[in-house]
Amino acid sequence: MDPSTELLTEQEAAVYDRQIRVWGVDAQRKLSKARVLVVGMSGVVAETCKNIVLAGIGSLTLVDDSPVTDEASAANFLVQFDDSEGQGITLAEVCAASLRDYNPMVQVKAEAGSIQSKPDSFFGNFDAIILGRSSVSLKKHVNELCRKQTHRIAFYTVDVRGTCGSLFVDLRTHSYTSKRAKDDKDVQLELSYPSFEESLGVRWSSMPKRTSKLLFALRCLEDFEETEGRQPGHVSSQDLPALLAFWKKACEAQTVAESLVPEALLQKLLRAGSTELPPVCAILGGIVGQELIKAMSCKGEPLSNYFFFDAGDGKGIIEKVAPNT
Amino acid sequence: MAASLAPTRWADLDRLLLRPGNLVGPGFEPGPELLESLQNDLRVLVIGAGGLGCELLKDLALSGFGHIDVIDMDTIDVSNLNRQFLFRMQDVGKPKAEVAAERVMQRVKGVTVVPHFCRIEEKDVSFYQDFHIIVLGLDSLEARSYINSVVCGFLEYEEDGSPDQSTIKPLVDGGTEGFKGHARVIFPGITPCFHCSLWLFPPQITFPLCTLAETPRSPAHCIEYAHLIQWGQDRQGESFDADNPEHMKWIYDQAVKRGEQFNISGITYSLTQGVVKNIVPAIASTNAIVAATCALETLKIATMCSTGMEVYMQYTGTEGIYMRTVPHDKDPNCIMCSPGVPVEVDTTCTLQKFIDQLLKDSRFKLKLSKPSVSYHGDNLYMQAPPVLEEMTRPNLELSLLTLMDGKTSGVLNINDRRLTGVLRVRVTFKEGLDSVDMDTAGGG
Repeated sequence: MDPSTELLTEQEAAVYDRQIRVWGVDAQRKLSKARVLVVGMSGVVAETCKNIVLAGIGSLTLVDDSPVTDEASAANFLVQFDDSEGQGITLAEVCAASLRDYNPMVQVKAEAGSIQSKPDSFFGNFDAIILGRSSVSLKKHVNELCRKQTHRIAFYTVDVRGTCGSLFVDLRTHSYTSKRAKDDKDVQLELSYPSFEESLGVRWSSMPKRTSKLLFALRCLEDFEETEGRQPGHVSSQDLPALLAFWKKACEAQTVAESLVPEALLQKLLRAGSTELPPVCAILGGIVGQELIKAMSCKGEPLSNYFFFDAGDGKGIIEKVAPNT
Repeated sequence: MAASLAPTRWADLDRLLLRPGNLVGPGFEPGPELLESLQNDLRVLVIGAGGLGCELLKDLALSGFGHIDVIDMDTIDVSNLNRQFLFRMQDVGKPKAEVAAERVMQRVKGVTVVPHFCRIEEKDVSFYQDFHIIVLGLDSLEARSYINSVVCGFLEYEEDGSPDQSTIKPLVDGGTEGFKGHARVIFPGITPCFHCSLWLFPPQITFPLCTLAETPRSPAHCIEYAHLIQWGQDRQGESFDADNPEHMKWIYDQAVKRGEQFNISGITYSLTQGVVKNIVPAIASTNAIVAATCALETLKIATMCSTGMEVYMQYTGTEGIYMRTVPHDKDPNCIMCSPGVPVEVDTTCTLQKFIDQLLKDSRFKLKLSKPSVSYHGDNLYMQAPPVLEEMTRPNLELSLLTLMDGKTSGVLNINDRRLTGVLRVRVTFKEGLDSVDMDTAGGG
C-alpha cells in the first residue's frame, strides 16, 4: 500500500504501527540498526532496556555477572521472583531472557565477564553505551574509549539512589533534525558535548547559583566511594561524619561554601544506600530510553548534558555543565 | 552551527511531580508500618490495562501495594505490543486485564492483582466505593467523565459547605499521546474535578460536513468524506466495519480519488486507518514516565495523605524535555463536585413545588426531565421503579423544609436519566419568596 512501509517487514509494520505514527519509518529503520551495550542491570537500567527493546533497536548486549538476589530484583521487573533461588545464572542472563520475550525482533544477548576485563576493541562494536551505577574511574575509562572510536558512540550513565535519579549524556558532535516552531518545517541542527572528564573539570564556583544541588551531592558521594574503595552504593547513615568531612574538603578545593548542599540531602543519599525507588527507575528509564531513541534516529533535540530528578521534592532539572571554550 | 558551550543556562523543569502538601512528613521513606499498610490494608483500582495500565501495575506492585484490581474491556491487539510489555504475540485476542494480572503476579512476590474483563459502566457504583485510591490509564474523555461522576457522587458536604473528608475518594489520572502526556490528581471537593477542568483538554477534532462535502483542504477531509458520506451513498445497507480490510481499502481508494480531484496529496493507507479509527500514536517511554508519575502520586497519597497540591503536570519530550504544572481552582458551580448549585426556596415550599421549580430553572432545563431527589442517602422522591415511586409519592405534598430536617440550608442530590452523574443542589430556605415570580426565584 504505502511504499515507505515496504522498507519494514510485515511484523515490524504491525507491531510498530503506533510508534511509526510518532517518529516515522525512516527513524524506525535507523533504530533497527542501533547496537546498544548496557552495563550493570540495576532497576533503572532494566527499565531503560525495556523501553529500547520495545522500540525496536537492532541489538542489545547486557553485561552483569552478579548473581540473582532478592535485593537485585527489588526494583527490577525483568527478574521473576522465583529466579532468586540461586541457580548459578547471572543477572544479565535472566534479564536477557525476559527482554527477548518483550520483543523477539531484537537481538538480546548476555555477555559474560566484567566490563573491566573487556579489550578496548570490544567497545567499538556499539553505537550506544549505557553505564548503570559505576565508579567515577569506570565512567571516565569507558567514556574515553568511546571517544577514541572513529564512529560516534552515544554515551550515557544513569543511576537512581532512593528517590533521586541522575543522568549524564555525551553525544560528542550530534547532528539532528528538529521541527521549527514558527512554520513546522524541519531544520538541521548540531550540538557539541563535552566529555565526562571535561564536565568533571568545570569548577563548582563557576556554575550558576541555581544549579541542582544533586549535582554536587552526587559528585561528592561518588568521589567519597572511590576514595574509600567502596562499591558504588555501599554506603549508609553511619558514613555521615566521614562524608561531611569529605564534603568540607571538597568545598575548600572548589572554593564554594559548605552550605551549597544541605546536610539533609547528603543524609538522604546515604540512607538510600544502594536502593532504588521503582517509580523513579521508571521515570529515569523512560527518559534515557527516549534520549537514546532521539540520538539513534537523529530526530528531535536531545538533552544536554545532565538530568537530575528528586521525587522527594518533585523537581526534575536539566543542567549543562561544560567548560568555557 | 554548534550551540554555545558555556554553562550559562539550565532548563528548569517545573515539577515533574506535584509538590507535597503542608501535611506531609519529612520525606518519602515509608517505614515498616506504612509498608505493611500498603501491602495489607490499602486497595487500589487501576482502570485500563493498556499502555499506561501495564506500566501502572508494574510500578504499583514493585512499590509495595499488595492489593490491586484492574479493569479493562479490551482484548490484546498486535499494535499494542510496542508498549504494553505484559503482553506477547501469542496473547493476541485475550482479555488485557486477565493477562496483565497474571503476568504481574508471576513477576512480583506477594501481590494480588484481581482482573475485571468488562466495561467500567457494567460495575455497580458500590464496586468503586471499595477502593482507597483509583488510578486511571484511560484513553477517552467519556470514560474519564464517567468515573469522575461516580467518584463525585460519593462526595458529601458538611453544613458549612466544606467536604466531608471521609467521602473523598482520590483519583490519579494519566494520559499520553506520542511524546506528550499529563498526570493529575483529583481530590473531589478540594481540587478541580475532571468536569471543572474540561477546558484543559484540547478540542476534539471534528470536521463540519460542509467542509467535507464542498471544500476539502487536507488528506483527512478526503478520508472522512469517503468514510462518512460516500460509504452511505455508494454502499447502501452495508454497515462500515473499520476492522474489515476490504472496507478500509475502499475508503482509501475513494479518498485518493477525491484527493486527485481537489489536488490534495499525502493520503496514505496508514493515515486512512488513523483517521477512520481515531488511532492515537503511542510509544513506550512516554507511558513509562507518565505512569510512574501517577504511581508516585498514588504512593504519596497512600502514605502521607497530602492534599495541598498543584495538581496538573504536562510533559513533552520531543524537543528537550518540558514539564510544567498548572495550578487551578475548582469551579465553585461545577455540577459534579461543587457544594451544590445554589437554589433559593420558600420556607413553605413542598417537594412537588421544588421539583417544578427546578424544571423551570434555566440552569437545569436541558439537564432534567424527570428528576429524582435524595437527601443524605434518603430517597425523598424516586421516579422509578414503580414500586419506589409509589412509596415516595406521598412525600411530594410534604414541606421540603421538614423533609430536610428543618435546617435552613442543605444539599440535595438530584438524579435524572439525562444526567451522567449526580446533580448537587444546595437549597437555602427563605421566607416570603412565594410572592416572587417562580421563574426568577432560582437565584444563583
